[in-house]
Amino acid sequence: MSSFSRSAQQWATFARSWFVIDARMQPPGKLATMCSVRLQGKHKPIYHALSDCGDHVVIINSKHIAFSGNKWEQKVYSSHTGYPGGFRQVTAVQLHSKDPKAIVKLAVYGMLPKNLHRRTMMQRLHIFPEDELPDDIRANLTEELPQPRKIPRKLSEYTQEEIDAFPKLWIPPENYKMQ
Amino acid sequence: MVFLTLSCWIRNRGPDRYWKVQELLKHARHFRGRKNRCYKLAVRAVRRAFVYATNARRLKKRNMRTLWITRIAAASREHGMKYPALMHNLTKTSVQLNRRVVSDLAVTEPRSFLSLAKLARARQQEGFCAALGDGKEPPGVFSRVVLLQ
Repeated sequence: MSSFSRSAQQWATFARSWFVIDARMQPPGKLATMCSVRLQGKHKPIYHALSDCGDHVVIINSKHIAFSGNKWEQKVYSSHTGYPGGFRQVTAVQLHSKDPKAIVKLAVYGMLPKNLHRRTMMQRLHIFPEDELPDDIRANLTEELPQPRKIPRKLSEYTQEEIDAFPKLWIPPENYKMQ
Repeated sequence: MVFLTLSCWIRNRGPDRYWKVQELLKHARHFRGRKNRCYKLAVRAVRRAFVYATNARRLKKRNMRTLWITRIAAASREHGMKYPALMHNLTKTSVQLNRRVVSDLAVTEPRSFLSLAKLARARQQEGFCAALGDGKEPPGVFSRVVLLQ
């Protein structure tokens, strides 16, 4: 190939980078949108659906994801075993206690395009329940993605000065009985 | 001088029906199964294929435009802008480049694209400033204008 052509000037254009994202206290859907874009390669200007230009994404701390609202109890994951009477429905809590990787994985799987490349792209998604990574994956990592949600602080993490300095709408009278 | 003997001879051998069938099977040779050799099956498949090809001429334009838009969106996100904001502000600054050219720039000339993105960003900030007026909130009203500054 001639060194004057454009293709020779663009080494590593189709190289794969490895992104890592920390799922601690993050909503799975927002994680999945970030992951699915990168798994498809839609964050690159050279994107084409057939050119297989997706990157690897490593999700750590998938055990510590956070659902908002009542989704832990009321979100239902349905499947069918294929046998008569084999319709299974489990809530998010049950699924998460059984497999801490499953919720994130299903969320990403549902956001990828429904075609023959979907399984290939899922193979580039690496999910880990805790923040310990195998050395071969840790060696590949190139970039850390910002978390989609700012982790809210617990009340116990605020100091007493900060609590006192917080503006109050209403100051209870002395004889007010707190329930 | 045109030499017609050979071509005339080729056309003259065999019955007309044979040549009619060959004309059609010519378009079906790459089909799968008996469609690529049996006339009765091939004639339907070829007709269907031509209909698909006609429709695809329209679809191709549509699909190419979605591809350009995907690529421009990816490139503009690299520079911290969203696709609609970029294209809207480029039209506001009278940059008369269509999506094909902008996506080509994004792929082959990233720095030209970066300057376009900077231009759009500057126009966007101008628009925000114009919308906010002098940057002060209206008297007697607590608004989010101050927080946006």
